[in-house]
Amino acid sequence: MESDTERIALGLRQKDLAVLERLVEQYQYRLVRYLVSLLGRRDGVDDLVQETWLRVLERGESYDGRSRLEPWLFRVARNIALDAMRKQPMFSLDSNEEDVVRSSLASSEPSPYTLAARTQDAERLAHSLQALEPAFREALMLRFQEDLSLQEISAIVGAPVSTVASRIYRGLATLRPQFEGEPA
Amino acid sequence: MNLNFHESFQRMVDESLAGTISAEKQQSLREHLSTCVPCQEYLSASNRVIAGLSGFSFEVNPALNTKVLAALRLQAQQVSSAQPRRLQLMRRRIVEYKVGAAFAVALLLSIVGSAFVYEVATLLLHFDTAQVRTDVLIFWLLPSFCATLCLLATPSEKRGIA
Repeated sequence: MESDTERIALGLRQKDLAVLERLVEQYQYRLVRYLVSLLGRRDGVDDLVQETWLRVLERGESYDGRSRLEPWLFRVARNIALDAMRKQPMFSLDSNEEDVVRSSLASSEPSPYTLAARTQDAERLAHSLQALEPAFREALMLRFQEDLSLQEISAIVGAPVSTVASRIYRGLATLRPQFEGEPA
Repeated sequence: MNLNFHESFQRMVDESLAGTISAEKQQSLREHLSTCVPCQEYLSASNRVIAGLSGFSFEVNPALNTKVLAALRLQAQQVSSAQPRRLQLMRRRIVEYKVGAAFAVALLLSIVGSAFVYEVATLLLHFDTAQVRTDVLIFWLLPSFCATLCLLATPSEKRGIA
């Protein structure tokens, strides 16, 4: 029997707009959330989201339907975001991916996390999260917000599973002191 | 209990949260946590971090979906309108290749056939060489070239080929 992901893959291969519309409805918010965690800012994210969906329409046949859609979709979004950052005039060609993301943080706008915090714990984390190494923040968000496995995160960020695990441990180690010595 | 002892279990807490811990380690961690207050606090602080990470809710522009869907429809339309043109071009190119190939094949077959006739006429039948050359050119090479070309140009169904 055809699985859900296989149906999606078939729809993407056929450039079926009805399938794409359903995916937009289903994944739009998560895509926005992921791009914010990747870039550490909110402005420009909507354009990247649109660009991501257009790329999905254009190259949808590269999704084979054998695994979940999220890692593939986030990988597409990540490539779009990094390409967009590289096109910025201030960006040096010698910069690596980390530098690309870090350079996007030099913004005077209020942190998107401060604006998006809905709980007390989130408010306490907002500042440290914004200041956190982008690669650590991305790994934490993909693991604990998007509920992806380490293998899936590894496929998105193009780093070994051990590196992803290390980023998660170090990210947790940076944020944990906020809550240490307090009752649960 | 020394610090390293706790650190090793705290490392296990991290592994457990990241989803990389083995079943045996998980069991041993569970047993340790039931009695160790510092490690319980470590786990509790880690869980607060994770809960905090889920406490963000980003506003999505309500017009974004509409904008994205409109862009997708436009792109799909452009792709589908570009397809017939691309198909037409492809078909024309295929016809050009077929005509070229038919000419080449017809010419090759006629030359081979003519050479064969020429050889038979001059070597076996001992006809006059110059006369045979003209006859072969006029009565064999040209007609066979035209006939082969016509045969190749005829659609396969009319030649009785399925």
